[in-house]
Amino acid sequence: MKRLPMIFAFVSLLIAGIFSAAQAAELIVWHAYRGAEKTAFEKVAQLYETKNASKGIKVTTLAIPYDAYADKISASVPRGKGPDVFIYAQDRLGGWIESGKTVEPIGFFMDDATRAQFLPGMLDAMTYKGTVYGLPLNYKSLTLIYNKALVKSPPKTSAELVKLAKSLTNAESGRYGLVYWYTNFYFHAALMNAFGGRVFDKDGKLVLDSPETVASIKQMMKWYKQDGILPTEPSEALVSSMFNEGKAAMVLNGPWFIGEISPSVDFGLALLPVIDEAGKKPMRPWLTIEGAYVSASSKQKELAYDFAKFLASEEAGLILALEGRQLHTNSAIYKDKRVSGDVVLNAFHNQLSSAEAMPNRAEMTMMWSPATTAMNKVVKGNATPEAALKEASVAIQESINALRKGR
Amino acid sequence: MNLAEHLKRSAVLGIGISVLLTLVLSTWMFHAEESDLRLQHKQRLALLHTNGLALAVANISVEETGKRVRDIQKLDPRIESAIIVVGMQLVASTRDEDAAPRQLKREEKPLFDLSNLIRTAGETNRGEEVVRKKTIQIDEKPSGHIVVTVPYLSDGQFAGILQMKFNTEAAEMFSPLPDSYSLPLLFLLAALLAGSLLRMNTDRKVDVAKLLALGVFLAIALSYQQQRLNRIEQMMAQANQSIAANYLATAEQYDRLGYLALPRDSSAVNLWDTDHYQRPLGLIAASGNVSAKAQAAYFDKRGGFLKRILASFDLLGLGVLLMFIYGYAARTFSALKEHADAYTYVAPAMIGMLVLVFFPFLYGITLSFTDTTLFNESLPFQDRLIGWDNFKAILGDFNLYERTANGIIWNYQNFYWTLLVTVIWTVSNVTIGVTVGFFLAMALNTEGLRGKAIYRVLLILPWAIPNYITALVWRGMFHPQFGVINQVLQMFGMQPVAWFDGVFSSFMTGLATNGWLSFPFMMVVILGALQSIPKEMYEAAEVEGADRWQRLRYITLPLLKPTLIPAIVLSVVWTFNMFNIIFLVSGGEPGGANEILITKAYKIAFENYQYAYAAAYSTVIFMILLVYGTFQTRVTKATESF
Repeated sequence: MKRLPMIFAFVSLLIAGIFSAAQAAELIVWHAYRGAEKTAFEKVAQLYETKNASKGIKVTTLAIPYDAYADKISASVPRGKGPDVFIYAQDRLGGWIESGKTVEPIGFFMDDATRAQFLPGMLDAMTYKGTVYGLPLNYKSLTLIYNKALVKSPPKTSAELVKLAKSLTNAESGRYGLVYWYTNFYFHAALMNAFGGRVFDKDGKLVLDSPETVASIKQMMKWYKQDGILPTEPSEALVSSMFNEGKAAMVLNGPWFIGEISPSVDFGLALLPVIDEAGKKPMRPWLTIEGAYVSASSKQKELAYDFAKFLASEEAGLILALEGRQLHTNSAIYKDKRVSGDVVLNAFHNQLSSAEAMPNRAEMTMMWSPATTAMNKVVKGNATPEAALKEASVAIQESINALRKGR
Repeated sequence: MNLAEHLKRSAVLGIGISVLLTLVLSTWMFHAEESDLRLQHKQRLALLHTNGLALAVANISVEETGKRVRDIQKLDPRIESAIIVVGMQLVASTRDEDAAPRQLKREEKPLFDLSNLIRTAGETNRGEEVVRKKTIQIDEKPSGHIVVTVPYLSDGQFAGILQMKFNTEAAEMFSPLPDSYSLPLLFLLAALLAGSLLRMNTDRKVDVAKLLALGVFLAIALSYQQQRLNRIEQMMAQANQSIAANYLATAEQYDRLGYLALPRDSSAVNLWDTDHYQRPLGLIAASGNVSAKAQAAYFDKRGGFLKRILASFDLLGLGVLLMFIYGYAARTFSALKEHADAYTYVAPAMIGMLVLVFFPFLYGITLSFTDTTLFNESLPFQDRLIGWDNFKAILGDFNLYERTANGIIWNYQNFYWTLLVTVIWTVSNVTIGVTVGFFLAMALNTEGLRGKAIYRVLLILPWAIPNYITALVWRGMFHPQFGVINQVLQMFGMQPVAWFDGVFSSFMTGLATNGWLSFPFMMVVILGALQSIPKEMYEAAEVEGADRWQRLRYITLPLLKPTLIPAIVLSVVWTFNMFNIIFLVSGGEPGGANEILITKAYKIAFENYQYAYAAAYSTVIFMILLVYGTFQTRVTKATESF
C-alpha cells in the first residue's frame, strides 16, 4: 500500500506529459545544409519558436545528407511519413508533382503581399503548370569572377571579352583568358539563353535543336577553336585549380565557387558580358532556386506554410544572407546596407537582372546526359552543332515519349 | 497396408491440395473481380449523372447554373449535393448552408487544389497530345458516399469544377448476384472422391492413374473457372443494361426540363458514359441502346486478362499435383519432420532473408512486368501491368548497327552492344586480375625474399583504398590536358591521347583502373594457395628430374585450381556488376558506348525515370548471371574431387 502514492504520482506525471505533448505542435523540417548555412538556418528556426512561444510551436530541423535527400523525400512523403516542410532546389519539383502525393500546392494560402515580396523570376521556379507549390528561399546563378591581378576592368561585351582573354592566353604555359565548364549544359545555358534558345517551349515541347541553340554552340566553338581562349576538357576541378594557380584570368561560376578560391587570389565579380553576335543580348545564366515546400502528407499544413512564409520573410532573409551567406529571395533585404555593401552578395544580386529560372519540368533530367554528349561531340569535332543537337533531341524525345504514355 | 503407405499410393492428398489451392485462388480472384465490377458500376453511374449535369450547365449564365443544379439535385434522391467551384469562388451549391456564391473557406482548400489539378490534367493532355492524366476524379468516402468531380466549362473554356456527392447507401444502385460457395465445395468433393479412387504405381514414371489424376485436376479447375467467367460476363451485361436504363430515365427528364435534348439517333455518341479521361466508353449509344458489339469486345479484353491470371493458377496447381504424385511433397515433409530443430534454428535467418533479399527481389521482378515510370507510379497496379513488353523491347531489339556510306555506325544504346561490352569487360578484367595476381604471388612466394611483408602490404594497398576514390584519382590521371598520363606521354615526345573520346581508349581507362583494383584480391588468394602446397612434392619432382616448367604445369597449377576457380567465379560476378568504376571513370563515354549493363540500368531508372524498364533490365542481368552461375557450379563440382 505504501507504493500507491508513488504510482499515483507517476500516473499523474504521465497524464501531464501526454497533455503537454498534445498541446505543443511540432513542425519537422528537413534541409541539406551544412556549416554556416546550417547554423543560420537553425537560428531562424529558433527565432520562429520564440516568436510563437505563446502557441507552443516546436520546430525540429533535421539535416539530411544531400546525396540521399531527394530519394528520401520521394520514398517517405507519398507514404505518409517524412517532414512537414522540406527544402530543395526546383529541379526535382516537376518530378515530385508528376508522381503525386509529395508536394502540397500552396497557391490557396498565398496573399498578394507574399507574392510581391520576391525578387523577379523567383516564384516562376516554384510554379508548375500554373500552380504554386513552394516559397522560394534562395537562388544561385553564374556570374563572371575574375582575377584582379590579371584583369583590371572586366569586359562588358563579348568583343571586349575575346580581346582581353586573347591577351591573357598562353596555351604553351597552360594559361587561359576564360575558363568555364563549357561542355556542361548548365554552364552553356547562359550563352544559349543569350541567343534565345530554349530546351522546352511553353507547351512543354522539346526545342533543343532550334537555330538559336545551334548559334549559341557555334559561338562557344568560336571561342574555343578560332579564338583559342578556352582550355580543352574543362571540369569543375580544373576550373578551380586553374583559377587558384592564377592560370585562369576569368571564370564563369556560381556562389559555391567563392569558398573554393584560395586566399592568395584577389578576385572580383562582374556581370556576365553581352554577346554582340546575339544582337547585344546579355548572357542569361540559369537560376537554381531553393524553395520551402509543404509536404502533402503533413497533418498541419497551415502551420507548415506559416513557417515556410517566415523563412521567406525579410527578417529570416537577413539572417540567412548575412550569416548563412545565402542569396535570399526576399527583395527587401537587398536594401539593407549590410547586404548591399557585401561585394559577393551584391554581385550575384546584380546578375539577377539578366538570369532566368531553370525549367522545373520532370523531363529536364532526361536532357542532361544526351545534351552533354552532344556538347562533347561538337567540341571534339565529331559532329556539327546541328547534327549533334538533332541526335540529342531524338534521344531525349524517345525517353520523354516513354514517360508520356497514353492511358 | 498402413496409412502412410496407403497415402503414398493414393492420389487423394495430391488432387485434394492442388484442387483446393487452385479453387481458392480462383475464387479469391473472381471475388475481387466481382467487387471491382460492382465498384466500377457504382462509379460509372455516379459519373453518368455528373457528366449529364456538367453538360447541362456548361456555357450558361451563373444564375441559370445555380437554378439548374438545384433542380436536378431534387430529381434524384441519390444525389446528395452538387457544387461548382471557380477559382477561389464557390459559385453554386445545392446545400442551403453554403450560401453560394461566396469565397472558399480555409478548410475548403482541397477544392481549390482539385480544380487546379483537373485544369492542369486537361492542359497536359492537350499540350502533349497524349491522354495520360485523369480529368475526372472519383472518390469513395468511408461513409459510403461517392464524390465525382468533373471540369466545369464556361464560354467553351475550363472555368472550374463541378462536384457531385452521391449517397449509395440510401438507394442500392446495383443488385449483384449472390456469392455462393456451394459450387467450389462441390467441385472439391468431386476431386477428393476421384483422388481416393485412384491408385498409383510408385515404381513407374507414367501410369494410367497418374494421367487420370492430372485429367481430373484439369477438368475440375477449368470447368469451375469457365462457370465463373460466364457469371462475370452476365454481370457486365447486367451493368450495361442498368446504366442504359438509368441514362434514359435521367436524360428524358433533362429533355423535359429543356436543359439537354435527348438524341434519338442511335449512331450519336453518348457523352454521359465516359471513362476517367472524359472519353466516351461507347458501350451505350446516345439513344440509350446497348451496343452488343462493344460489350463483347469489352468482355474479351477484360476476360482475356482474367484468363491469363487463371492460367497461372492452373499451372501452379498442376505443379503442386506433380510434386505430390511424384513423391517430392512426401520427401519434403519427412525432411522437415526429421530435422525440425535445425529448421527452427535457421528460421530467423530465413525470415530475415525473406524480408531483406527475396521481397525486394520479387518486387523488382513484378515491377518489370509493368510500365511504371515516374509519371504513372501512383496509378493502381493493375492499370500498369503490361506483361512481357519490356523484355520484348530489350531482347527483341536487334537494331545493333546501321550501314551508311561512311561505314558501319554502331547503336550504342542497344542491349546486345552493352552486353557485348559487359562480357568483354568481365573477361578482360578477370584475365588481367588473375595473371597479374598470379605472377606477383609467385614472386612473393620466393623463398628467402627480403622485405616480403613490406611488398605484400604495398601490393594489397590498392584493394584497401575505397574503390570510388581510386576511380576518381584514375579519372583525373586520364585528363587529356592536365592528367599525369598524357603529361608523361608528352615528356617522351608523344602526342597526348583524348582518352575518353574513343570507344577503345575509353574502355582501356576502365580496364586499367579495375585491373589496378582487382589484382590484390587474386594475389592474396593465390599466395595462400601456393603456401599450402607441400614442399615435399616439389622436392620429389626435382629428384625425378622435373624442370621448372614441368613443376609449374604438373604440381602448382593443378593444386591451385580448387582455390582459383571459386575466386574466379566470384570475381566474374563482381566485375560483371562493377558499377563504380564505369560510372566514375569513363561514365560510359563516348556516347554511352562503354556502358555496362548495370550502369545502363541505373541510367534508365534514375535519369529517364523508366522504373519498370530498368527493373526488366536488371532481371535480364540476373538471368544471365543465373545461367552463368549454374554453369559454373557444374565446372566447380567437377574440380571438387581433384
